[in-house]
Amino acid sequence: MKVRSPNGEKVDLLTVNIGPSHPATHGALRAFVALDGEIITAAAQEIGYLHRGFEKMVEQGTFQQVLPYTDRLNYCSAILNNIGFCLTAEKMFGVEVPERCQTLRVLLSEMSRLIDHLVCVAAASVDLGALTNYWYLFNPREEVYAIWEKLSGARLTNTFTRIGGLYRDTYEGFEADVAKVLVSIETGLDEAFRLLEHNRIFLDRTRGVCPISGEDAVSWGWTGPCLRAAGVDRDLRKDEPYLGYETYEFETIIGTTGDTFDRLMVRMYEMKESLSICRQALARLKPGPVNTTDARLILPGHQMAYHDMEALINHFKVVYEGVRPPAGEFYYGIEAANGELGFFIVSDGTGKPWKIKVRPPCFTQFAAYADLIEGSMIADAVACLSSINIIAGELDR
Amino acid sequence: MTSLPKPLGEALAPSNVDSTKSFQTRVFQILSDRFGAALDPRDQWGLTVVVASEQLREVLGFLRNDPEVLADTLLDITAIDYLGYPGHDQARFAVVYLLKSQRASSHRLRVKVWVEEDSPKIPSVHDLWKIANWQERETWDQYGIVFEGHPNLKRLLNHIEFVGHPLRKDYPVKKRQWLSTNDPMIDQLEARLALRGYEVLEHVPVHSPSVEETDLLGKPSRIQNNNVGGVS
Repeated sequence: MKVRSPNGEKVDLLTVNIGPSHPATHGALRAFVALDGEIITAAAQEIGYLHRGFEKMVEQGTFQQVLPYTDRLNYCSAILNNIGFCLTAEKMFGVEVPERCQTLRVLLSEMSRLIDHLVCVAAASVDLGALTNYWYLFNPREEVYAIWEKLSGARLTNTFTRIGGLYRDTYEGFEADVAKVLVSIETGLDEAFRLLEHNRIFLDRTRGVCPISGEDAVSWGWTGPCLRAAGVDRDLRKDEPYLGYETYEFETIIGTTGDTFDRLMVRMYEMKESLSICRQALARLKPGPVNTTDARLILPGHQMAYHDMEALINHFKVVYEGVRPPAGEFYYGIEAANGELGFFIVSDGTGKPWKIKVRPPCFTQFAAYADLIEGSMIADAVACLSSINIIAGELDR
Repeated sequence: MTSLPKPLGEALAPSNVDSTKSFQTRVFQILSDRFGAALDPRDQWGLTVVVASEQLREVLGFLRNDPEVLADTLLDITAIDYLGYPGHDQARFAVVYLLKSQRASSHRLRVKVWVEEDSPKIPSVHDLWKIANWQERETWDQYGIVFEGHPNLKRLLNHIEFVGHPLRKDYPVKKRQWLSTNDPMIDQLEARLALRGYEVLEHVPVHSPSVEETDLLGKPSRIQNNNVGGVS
């Protein structure tokens, strides 16, 4: 493509597609770039390769049937999506889940955040050629998946929470498994820190690469670790606490320049905080019920359903008609691994949602991608992409 | 108890019931006095104001810049199709803007605009927030709402050949469409180059499957066999 540059020079630009199917794009994402040598002069990105029509599908079933679909949003931390959706629905009903359920949800949230950040940092370092970190970070992640499997029967798509509680209580020996995996993650994390934090090559490849200012990040609608890396101290767990997060002790990690290094380091230090929250949650985990007793949400037990006519009718109605929140429009967001994951629910008072719109945190970050990479080299674009951690499942829905 | 915005980047006090209530009362008072905004009774949990389409840009600009509100983050733009909604007697569509502030933790609100079915048009706000560009494209794609003044109102999630707007209530769930070509995206790249001060002297050729290639893929039979896997 022949162009005249702003200073009057005639340049021959090469147009190249980065993606949609390339290992470095971590999913089906496409960036179409015009190159001057190795420098990206201009870029445009395209999404939608994984668009499955989440928002259309969920309108066809009941509120409970939405849950398995939420697993497929951010599939690196499926339980966080389950919790986000369940909390939104519960807030519409005005129902609070019992204490054990809250503590378990905090514990599962933080473990999900840990595995999500582990994927991000491990994949980012592989993209930079630092393969060793991958083994240190992915092995403990695998141990978490073993716990997920014991807990819910599924590795990736757990559907572990329910509106009003959990699928079931934990298994015997859960606490010991978690305590063990926290040690493994900490060890792996420390190894990765030692390999990366003062590594000359890592610093050169990430520091000052694709930075963003706090103001710009806000204008792009960024939330979560990427916004914090740009120096904005916002975390929904602190600012609008839910599930009792205000009673846990942890720091929000903020960066200064909003470059690739900051985005990765914010995630790495956040993992340390998450480990600490997990330990606090584990310490306060007391036996007790995990489901609310609200009959609008929870199925009566087998004994009740088999011997009591009203309970049988209740069972039938909750399953066939779905739980019925009050008619109206409601938005609620939680701090997911990538930022604010929100659900905007429109209900007409029946058991089927009229509309559910997901507010995926990745969407805003990938929208800024062209702006971030213009003027950098191709290799930097790859480093930048892995640091903003795009999960195509929630990006395209 | 009030919670006034702080400079960007400072840690904030957590929101609570009082600060949220006081923010909502205060902002609704201002909006109803200045712009004649009405409360939306459908939102019984938070604050949703309904404004006229002509005032939309002014209201959003005010909410974004007013030193006491500073709703600097546009979380999302979406539309609602009320076709067949029980007891609904207003316009078919509503476009909703979800706002929050990064400088005060209790500042959250939604702005709603009614959009008529026969001319689904409202002004674009792509110049107020950078993210609005993509959010408006998605809303156009899914609901067919036209954002006037948008620089590149092109489908975002669906394929460029897609016909119709799938999240409208009258779009059949099981409908299948044959989509064959790819998006060359040359127009978007050239727009980006122009934005950065480059002048395009010679266009690049577009590589797309030819008509013969598309026919070879067996267009009619694929459509017939393709009605499996629908949501029942």
